[in-house]
Amino acid sequence: MKRWGIAWLVALGVGGTAAVSASPIAVDIRLPMYQRVGGMTGNLNSIGSDTLNNLMTFWAEGFATYYPSVKIQIEAKGSSTAPPALIAGTSQLGPMSRPMKPTEIDAFEKKYGYPPTAVAVALDALGVFVNKDNPIQHLSLEQVDSIFSSTRACGGKASLTTWGQLGLEAEWANAPISLYGRNSASGTYGYFKEHALCKGDFKGSVKEQPGSATVIEGVTNDRFAIGYSGMGYKTAGVRLLPLTGLGSTKVYEATADKVYAGTYPLSRYLYIYVNKAPGKPLDPLVAELLRYVLSQEGQSAVVKDGFIPLLKEIEAVEIKKVDDVL
Amino acid sequence: MRPRLNLTSGRIDPERPSTLLRTLILSWSKDERSRRVTPRRVVSQLPIQLTGCMLAIALLMIVGLMGLILCQGLGTFWPQPLWELTTSDQGRYLGLVHRREPIPADDHAQGARAQRTLYRIGNRDVYETDFVWINDQHILTQSRPTEAVVVERLEWGPWYGFISDVKTPEGTVSGNREQVWAALLRQRPSARQRTRVIRRIERRIIGDLNDEVEQHRLAIRRLELRGRLDTPTEQRQLQRHQHAIKVLEQRYARIADSLGQQRAQDQAYRVVLTSIDGRQKELPISAIVRIHQPNRLSWCGRVAVYADRLREFVFDPPREANTEGGVAPAVFGTVLMTLLMSVAVVPLGVLGALCLHEYAKQGPLVSGVRIAVNNLAGVPSIVFGVFGLGFFCYLIGGTIDRFVFPERLPTPTFGGGSILWASLTLALMTVPVIIVATEEALAAVPNGLREASLACGASKFQTVWRVVLPAAIPGVLTGTILAMARGAGEVAPLMITGVVKLAPTMPLDHLWPFIHLERKFMHLGFHIYDVGYQSTNIEASKAMVYMTTLLLLGIVVCLNVTAMRIRGQWRQRFHSADV
Repeated sequence: MKRWGIAWLVALGVGGTAAVSASPIAVDIRLPMYQRVGGMTGNLNSIGSDTLNNLMTFWAEGFATYYPSVKIQIEAKGSSTAPPALIAGTSQLGPMSRPMKPTEIDAFEKKYGYPPTAVAVALDALGVFVNKDNPIQHLSLEQVDSIFSSTRACGGKASLTTWGQLGLEAEWANAPISLYGRNSASGTYGYFKEHALCKGDFKGSVKEQPGSATVIEGVTNDRFAIGYSGMGYKTAGVRLLPLTGLGSTKVYEATADKVYAGTYPLSRYLYIYVNKAPGKPLDPLVAELLRYVLSQEGQSAVVKDGFIPLLKEIEAVEIKKVDDVL
Repeated sequence: MRPRLNLTSGRIDPERPSTLLRTLILSWSKDERSRRVTPRRVVSQLPIQLTGCMLAIALLMIVGLMGLILCQGLGTFWPQPLWELTTSDQGRYLGLVHRREPIPADDHAQGARAQRTLYRIGNRDVYETDFVWINDQHILTQSRPTEAVVVERLEWGPWYGFISDVKTPEGTVSGNREQVWAALLRQRPSARQRTRVIRRIERRIIGDLNDEVEQHRLAIRRLELRGRLDTPTEQRQLQRHQHAIKVLEQRYARIADSLGQQRAQDQAYRVVLTSIDGRQKELPISAIVRIHQPNRLSWCGRVAVYADRLREFVFDPPREANTEGGVAPAVFGTVLMTLLMSVAVVPLGVLGALCLHEYAKQGPLVSGVRIAVNNLAGVPSIVFGVFGLGFFCYLIGGTIDRFVFPERLPTPTFGGGSILWASLTLALMTVPVIIVATEEALAAVPNGLREASLACGASKFQTVWRVVLPAAIPGVLTGTILAMARGAGEVAPLMITGVVKLAPTMPLDHLWPFIHLERKFMHLGFHIYDVGYQSTNIEASKAMVYMTTLLLLGIVVCLNVTAMRIRGQWRQRFHSADV
């Protein structure tokens, strides 16, 4: 017993310098705490992004502790499934990992006469992952484009197919780069295509995966793999590569600070789209859920799921969309 | 002939080729002459060997698959020791061994046979990640502290560390680890009791109250939709509903108050957890799901923890976006959907087959229909899903909503995916299985039986209904077994006709009308897909995927065994009737 007591004191002393990595991102303490209101009941359906799938579930679970009789059903088959469901009225919440395309907004307006309202609910950084054994230090977006794209719209000169072309040595020199990506219904696919591939086309050799977690699994089990996915999916088996933006030379890691500062080149907002008529208040239940999502409690679920919580400045803008009767 | 290993002598004998398989088959055949091996016999027995080979391959695949699932799944819940490690780079870790692998050979400095281990270090809320790879050479010391505790929590996954304080309104226990541990154990039953009370208020009392409010709201909405709110009777009705809502809301406020007090009381009982590197975390005792000290657990204690985890897995609802807790709603949804599907598909298929085989005049038209039915079995299941979505959900469901539940629009009642539509879609998908099986069974009923019945003066219908169909029942049940197995394991069509990741309510509960076929539901097959493909902490949830697969297999086996027993009873009945 005594031995452990001493070990414990030592542990306390050493604690500060221990090598266990940094703490997760903290939620902005300036965000409001969530306040319960009375008489909330009813049903909500959420159909949309699978990146937001787990996060929506966390929010639904958290919201249920305040309002036990509010039922939230969650379906997540990809961002592209959100607009049709919102338009058909089969869902009240349309989580999306990319902004709606003009055609989707048009289709919504055609039915309701006003555009849908997008509420930013979290930040995400898209990461380029390699196997944990891969010695590569960082990549530029041009290189990422030359690795993934067949058209190289970002201006890469030659297609990169082996790790040797990226400067790796020994057994890596001749190892072909094995590509992992998402399927085309996913918002992650669309975002990556637009921002990392300069709207070019993916190579045919990209192994399209049905979920972000399977991209990570693929990269974990394939030493010569590279893949892209939300940074929230990072595990111990993969490494998140720092990136340099187009035309820049500075390397930025995918950390919350860099995303807030806007310097990490592949960061994006995650949205929940709702149907709000101008001049009328939002459906009370939907409004309450969004208030919960934008509160400290809701944003701590964002951290739990590995995404980046909103800052007070962003939250102030978003909460206006919920509260205002414009 | 290639020389084979002689099994009995254990050496290679070019004269007498022999394989395990052939020895087995020959001993089964019990034919003395066939044991004399001549080249001609070998050739003539080739087909027998082939059948044996195919059976062996099928067995191998089943055993291999089951073995993989069992190995990966069953070990998941077994409590493992917590290792305390110090590494050469000043790191201190406390965690479970998750996986080991050799370090790839290119890392020359390590030598070819170096190993590394993936440790699960938990504490996801204070560390950035809950898994860490450690090279075995970097480990300086390794021990199993007896006081290390595994705390399974409602949120943020497990905590591996120590317990430093237990705070209650009566005072704080801290210091001696043994005393703190004992104090925490003493507090656990009352914490569990408080959780039960709170959950009862939340789920039952408030839930029912809100359901009542909802009913009144819908009644008001119905009155509004009828558009004549000026008549005195309607005015009276309206006021009655409004008054009822007001009364219910007052009651709600009172209950919510007491709930708030209960919660505040509950929050006063707290525990302070410490990690190996001295970081602390305080949480209410009721947020603990399970605690144990794995390094001092006896064998019985381990079994108890295992059993408790298994119980939670099968009987509790999921937590933490389905990556923890149990799968009870998914089990329930799977079983109910399969049963609903069987109820729908068996009459449909059997009556269809009866018409096709007994009544319809055999000709090109009937042959065409038969071919069409058989081909239906080859249509990809996702196509059935799309059909179900368009036909059942949007067309039929949408129509029902417009005429029966207009007050609930735009929120769909039957107009979206639901367990009813999913079951019917699967029923359509499996109908060819039943038709084909029933037709085969009907064809196997001897014609003499029909003729005898007709000769006794029975009508055609009586013959079919009382004589032919009962004799064909075992065949029909075989078809049902196949259909259920296919239906229970199907995921693709369900994904668009009513399965969701999280369904807060079950399709069966204590509220009128008890069975709610319009609700969406959870399904084990989809659960596997969802947790395996979508969860952000894939390393931690992989085991959950295997366990869920095992459970799904178990359920299919259970359903099949039940159907087989029924079939056995029917068969017996007919054997005794023959005598």
